[in-house]
Amino acid sequence: MTPDDMRRDVRTENLWKIYQQASEEVQAVRDVTLTIQPGEFTALAGPSGSGKTTLLNLIGGLTRPTRGQVRVADHELSKLPNHVLARLRLNQIGFVFQAYNLLPVLTARENAEFPMLLQGVSAEERTRRVDELFARTGMEGLEDRRPGKLSGGQQQRVAVVRAVASKPALVLADEPTANLDSASSDALLDLMDELNRDLGVTFVFATHDERVMERSRRLIRMVDGRIDSDVIRVG
Amino acid sequence: MMIARRKAFQIRVIAVLALRNLRRQVRRTLLTATAIILGAGMLVFSNAIGDGTHEQWIDDGVRTGSGHATIEHPAFRMSRKLEDRLAADVRAVAEAALATPDLADRVTGVSAQLTISGMASSAAGARPAHILAVDPQAEVDFTNLDDQVIEGRYLQSDDRLAAFVGVGLVETLDLRLGSRLVLTAQDTNKEIVGQLVRVVGVFRNGAPPVDNTVVHIPLAIAGEWLGSGDDVSKIAVMVEDSTEVSSLVRRLRQALADPVDAGRVTVLGWREAMPALASLVAVDQFGSYVIFAILFVIIGFGIVNTVLMSVLHRHREFGVLQALGLTPRQTGAVVLLEGLLLTTVSTLVGVGLGTWLTWYFLGDGFDMAVIAGDSLANNMEMGSVVIDPIIIPMFSVARTLQTIGWIMLIGILASIYPALRATRIDIAESMKFDQ
Repeated sequence: MTPDDMRRDVRTENLWKIYQQASEEVQAVRDVTLTIQPGEFTALAGPSGSGKTTLLNLIGGLTRPTRGQVRVADHELSKLPNHVLARLRLNQIGFVFQAYNLLPVLTARENAEFPMLLQGVSAEERTRRVDELFARTGMEGLEDRRPGKLSGGQQQRVAVVRAVASKPALVLADEPTANLDSASSDALLDLMDELNRDLGVTFVFATHDERVMERSRRLIRMVDGRIDSDVIRVG
Repeated sequence: MMIARRKAFQIRVIAVLALRNLRRQVRRTLLTATAIILGAGMLVFSNAIGDGTHEQWIDDGVRTGSGHATIEHPAFRMSRKLEDRLAADVRAVAEAALATPDLADRVTGVSAQLTISGMASSAAGARPAHILAVDPQAEVDFTNLDDQVIEGRYLQSDDRLAAFVGVGLVETLDLRLGSRLVLTAQDTNKEIVGQLVRVVGVFRNGAPPVDNTVVHIPLAIAGEWLGSGDDVSKIAVMVEDSTEVSSLVRRLRQALADPVDAGRVTVLGWREAMPALASLVAVDQFGSYVIFAILFVIIGFGIVNTVLMSVLHRHREFGVLQALGLTPRQTGAVVLLEGLLLTTVSTLVGVGLGTWLTWYFLGDGFDMAVIAGDSLANNMEMGSVVIDPIIIPMFSVARTLQTIGWIMLIGILASIYPALRATRIDIAESMKFDQ
């Protein structure tokens, strides 16, 4: 991956995802064509079942499209074998999940360092980045705690640190505030906003949360797997 | 440099995840580890006891019968007749071969014996007798009957008209120490001839066919009595343990190539000389292998259960690992390593336990009476061979390494399926699982 790759946009072209559920065919994503520019702070909104999470999973290479294309950093994801896709996710994409999904056997610091370890980042550099991000997120002093000993908000902050510490071009966040109280949600959104502005990391959220929609600078609404509206707001 | 570091870090990540996941489900890990430890320990100990038992059977058998190897006339095994005996010159060649340094270093006992089928009679009556004419001095190192004396003593070098008689025969013929006994048999001219001897000792072997028929007399007197001179029916040879038999037989056949080729002598190992005992050992070994196979299957299922359950419970986690950049193969490696770590550590502990148990019983032996009960243990008899209930375990490094190898192989095989499952998960689907 070259530095230029890091700056490339995310594009989907005529993207379809059809699931077979029992004998029924579910069209989760229908003919979505979309471009997300580097540095965007974009929210995918819509009711449950509108296809937000599936679209996010398609962009993140976590699932493969039935038809159409997804291009991230100029790589057509559906053509990549699993191990190359894993490498691309490692180097280009950070994930923040609704249920945090920290690894329970690792401490907060080890969770945050996990993608960097896989990338081969030196111990000093890992410590420097995590210390800095933990300081920014108010997680100082909690580095050695396991996820089970952290609150939901703290776990989500560790998940955000994990997602951005490896310096991805794109962070995909699926309902990141869904399990948080409003104070924790605001703090987390402030953090992601800051990281977006300071580091130029592209953020794409799937959300029902009005606060996330309000803070986004581009709001894409989805209904029944299709893009219903796509509004760029000046912020 | 960067690639090497990345690889090293990735290996470290895989190892840390595997180790911590084993610690995470301590109870499940300990349960499986205990099963493997006990299984491995039992395998090592029961292998040692099994090998020790077989060695004991073989030892008891060869001491009662033909030795680990026997040198005899080719027709003697079938005919059991006096005429099918080793001539004195062939005996001399065989004994000279056994005295060469190459063979003498391996051999622990040699007994030249004349086997005679005849009758033993006293004033009380007559009974069939299996008369064994022996060199008393050589026979003491060979037979275990001298340890089973209940009255009197075993034969001595300077004995002439002496007989060492089984307790059954003594009772039937109403004999006591010093009693006169007439032995009758065909001589080399096929004439029926008698020999008067006196009872110098009585033994109780435990095997009725032995106690009721066997009479030991000095070889010298038998030669005079039957006109066989220094001829013998066979020369029985003992070595340290049964593993040396095939090489002993091969060397003896080489040393006696000329009389062997001339059809005047044959060399047999104990398996050929005592096929019933060989079959018994083989059947018992097969039984042990069946039990070992069952143990291996139990261990295998234990590992599969632990590792597979752990994989099924961590479906979502494997999805997260792969979302974060672990490749499917690396995810499988985490699972495989968990199984291997569990198997390796448990196997080594189990083998240590089994070795300690073996070592513990090495001195005084393992008393089978504990399992079989006193009455049964005191009468353990197979064929005409009485088996000592005290079994000395036989530790073998090769056997132990084999056991480790088998359990490790099972550990690897049992971990492959769960590892494959971990590699094949659908990341997006796995994320839908509730935490």
